[in-house]
Amino acid sequence: MNSLRIARAALRVRPTAFSAPLQRRSYAEAVPDKIRLSLSLPHQAIYKSQDVVQVNLPAESGDMGVLAGHVPSIEQLKPGVVEIIEESGGSKQFFLSGGFAIVQPNSLMSITAVEGFPLEDFSPEAVRSQIAEAQKVASGGGSEQDVAEAKIELEVLESLQHHLK
Amino acid sequence: MLSRAARPALRAGGAAVSSRAVAPSPATYATLREIEGRLKSIRNIEKITKTMKIVASTKLTRAQKSMHDSRAYGKTNNQVFESAETKALEGDGKKKLVVVCSSDKGLCGGIHSGLSRFIRRVKDGENFDLVIIGEKARNQLQRTHAPSIVLSFAGAGKDIPTFAESQAIADQITQLSGNYSDIEIIHNKFINATSYEPTIIAAYSAEAIAASPNYSAYEVDEDELLSNLQEYALANSIHWALSEGHACEISARRNAMDNASKNAGEMIGKYQILYNRTRQAAITGELVEIITGAIASEEM
Repeated sequence: MNSLRIARAALRVRPTAFSAPLQRRSYAEAVPDKIRLSLSLPHQAIYKSQDVVQVNLPAESGDMGVLAGHVPSIEQLKPGVVEIIEESGGSKQFFLSGGFAIVQPNSLMSITAVEGFPLEDFSPEAVRSQIAEAQKVASGGGSEQDVAEAKIELEVLESLQHHLK
Repeated sequence: MLSRAARPALRAGGAAVSSRAVAPSPATYATLREIEGRLKSIRNIEKITKTMKIVASTKLTRAQKSMHDSRAYGKTNNQVFESAETKALEGDGKKKLVVVCSSDKGLCGGIHSGLSRFIRRVKDGENFDLVIIGEKARNQLQRTHAPSIVLSFAGAGKDIPTFAESQAIADQITQLSGNYSDIEIIHNKFINATSYEPTIIAAYSAEAIAASPNYSAYEVDEDELLSNLQEYALANSIHWALSEGHACEISARRNAMDNASKNAGEMIGKYQILYNRTRQAAITGELVEIITGAIASEEM
């Protein structure tokens, strides 16, 4: 956990250190050094083709960071935290309930998810109490569907709790 | 022969109409009351249409917001198919599946019949099956396309469509046994507050996605991912179509109710004038009777 935090802090430092020369270069040549991100939910568009520096994704095939010029790919997302490092150097974290991330050829990226909220909006107590509830249902003798639903709920909540700590 | 038989009937009909329009003088009081009654009922209708218009206008802002969001979502979702140049699979005699997004409620102009007409016009002679969301379109299409309806949903689109609804519908659609080449979702596109256009959103089958020309440019890990993506994209497109259709419906209802209120207002004006004139005529008639009576008794 500690090492992760240090790594994240390092990540946060890096963009500010590099931002000056990168910006200067983007004036001279037309090399795209930003990803144009659209992050949308059914009821809300969080990012509408905005330029960002880096996007970290919890993909099914493993966590990955996407920079400009990434190979075009289609990734299914696990429930987890998407971290977006913006041009200004600040980073934003959103917890998504799973969806798809698609990297297009010209550094375009589209993420679609069913639900998503900023990480700081979650309350750890509510998560804990819901985990307890879901565990009760999952281990209880409900119908097959109920148990399966509770297990999915548990997966999402545990991942959320892991990131809230 | 026929014309002679029809003529008396026509004459009788004409007589019935004329007796209603220009009432014979002894029945003046009765028609006055009749006019009053009709005036009252038109006023009540106007009240109802006005209220419905206000309700629709308040709902409209929310519906439009959800439409904009879901449109952005749907476009983000379909970006990949655009850049992969995905096309519907041609030929090999497979059926298409057409999903029609309408709703259960009427009193909103030609929104639903526009969809049915679009299907009759554009899809004429094609081999397809129908999935219908909403009672209105189902009733209309049952007359012409009854055998091709495989699935229909009622109760959707009562309020702003939720993603859970679209997911449930998409789930039912993917469980259909027919092996369809492609899915087309037909909904009303919101052009502006007064015009809507039936439009197709294509939702491709997994094979069509895999066969698209630029698909090889993408890095895809598992084969399973593709069918997941297809299912998810279908739910997303349905959500987009339902939200946009809902906004169109509300907006059309607002316009229809606005027109209905205007017409009712016009009718109220006309009937008010007729009522006043008839009343004045009755009063004048009474006065004439009194005065002639008075003059007659004076002369005696």
